Amino acid sequence: MIRFEQVSKTYPGGHQALSHVDFHVKPGEMAFLTGHSGAGKSTLLKLISLMERPTAGRVLINGHDLRKIKPSQVPYVRRDIGMIFQDHRLLMDKTVFDNVALPLIIEGYSVQEARKRVLAALEKVGLADKVKHYPQMLSGGEQQRVGIARAIVTKPPLLLADEPTGNLDPKLSMEIIRLFEEFNKVGVAVLIATHDLGLIARLRYRTLTLKDGRMINDGLEDNEL
Amino acid sequence: MSLLFRNRSVEKGASNRGRLPWWRRAVMVPVHHVQQAVASLGEMWRNPFASLMTMAVLGLSLTLPSSLYVLVKNTSSITDSWQQASEITLFLKKELKTSEIETFKTQTSLSDNVESVRWVPKDEGLEQFKEQSGFGETLDYLSNNPLPDVLVVIPAENYRAAEQAEALLLEFQNKREVAHAKLDIEWLNRLQAILDLIEDTLGALALVLCLSVVLIVGNTIRLNILSKRDEIVIMKLVGATNAFIQRPFLYTGAWYGFIGGIFAWVVTLLLIWWIESAVLTVTNLYDSQFQLDGLTFGELIAIWVIAIGLGLTGSYLAVRRHIQSIEPE
Repeated sequence: MIRFEQVSKTYPGGHQALSHVDFHVKPGEMAFLTGHSGAGKSTLLKLISLMERPTAGRVLINGHDLRKIKPSQVPYVRRDIGMIFQDHRLLMDKTVFDNVALPLIIEGYSVQEARKRVLAALEKVGLADKVKHYPQMLSGGEQQRVGIARAIVTKPPLLLADEPTGNLDPKLSMEIIRLFEEFNKVGVAVLIATHDLGLIARLRYRTLTLKDGRMINDGLEDNEL
Repeated sequence: MSLLFRNRSVEKGASNRGRLPWWRRAVMVPVHHVQQAVASLGEMWRNPFASLMTMAVLGLSLTLPSSLYVLVKNTSSITDSWQQASEITLFLKKELKTSEIETFKTQTSLSDNVESVRWVPKDEGLEQFKEQSGFGETLDYLSNNPLPDVLVVIPAENYRAAEQAEALLLEFQNKREVAHAKLDIEWLNRLQAILDLIEDTLGALALVLCLSVVLIVGNTIRLNILSKRDEIVIMKLVGATNAFIQRPFLYTGAWYGFIGGIFAWVVTLLLIWWIESAVLTVTNLYDSQFQLDGLTFGELIAIWVIAIGLGLTGSYLAVRRHIQSIEPE
């Protein structure tokens, strides 16, 4: 599903965020990506969502080389990837409904057609009663769940989450992870970047570890043990 | 459209329903345009002050050229009518007898290049002079009439333009009966030159004003875009194309033009109405019947189209430059 081949990323200015990263996440797999802040987790996710391009090596999603994606095609790639952010990235002046409906509207759905799917997505994250609320009226955990609903409303085959539990207490964090597990059960590949090692330890999923831009553990040996 | 996952809808258990068929999406395109147009209008409504300022600037900038245009249009219509009526005045030699004048008049009126000839006998000329000059009774002291008989010749249709009329003038000048022939075309030429000058200046002015309108709209839209930076980033993150993001801004620009154009109408019409009474006073003093022509329906539409075009151009420039440069980080 996601394949990195000898991927390096050097930012203008000389900072090397990733060097020779190699790994493969299979379709329908759920994996954690961990490492200290600055280890390159965010950069790795940005390479998948085409917010950055690698300096060397190649990134493939579902066998498609992202180097061949032209800038004008980037939006269409992003529609296939559900992205979840630590700071939610919600539109603060729009209701929960409008926020979740946004990806559908972008794809050309009318509001009426989107309604059913938006409500279903909100139902899944347990916010069906907050449809008309504005993000400010919600707690941090609820805002994060709105972000998740927005990511899954188009039913993408791949979910990327960048520190989705960063601002949440352990109990809420676990609820969020349980949500991801549910999506994973119906076949969605999930890659979660987090430095919350305690959370990872309680779960038995593959864990990729980055240190100073190198993949020091791609989590496969652990599974074999 | 899914680039990475062919048949995405059937591939995944989680997403096996609800993708839109192509015809459905095609139908949605115009619906979306209308929705976004209305949405941009609503957006402007919520923040009316900045929008109103921009519309007013747009409207006022168009008012100046369009009022000047009305002015030039009317002046040229006046001069046109003068050109049309260009008459040649033939002052006849004094020693001619009435019968000779009659013959000459008939002879002249039979010519192909003459439409009509009017004879103003010298006595009648004197009467007219008395009435119009203001000398009145004083002229009674003259022992004899100093005025010659006059033939007023109106050239045929195709001899009325300056050059042809002048040729005709020469022809008359050489007649035995004519002492002096006069065609007052020189001042018309000068007037025409001045009008051309005004028209050119007007064109240049209009161009400069239109450019400034484009820049002003562009700048307003640029500020709009920058104030929505976060929103644009989020939309890009969830897969919005540049075209999708820029559409509401383009609509905003078009609305600026739409309402600015109406603004320009109103102000121009008010200006014309204001000037009209002054013009009427002047023309009454000159004893002439004159009707100030306002803007025709077609011209109003043209102003509107130009205004909308300018709004669109301004927003397009801003959108092109700034939406691309905003990328999620």
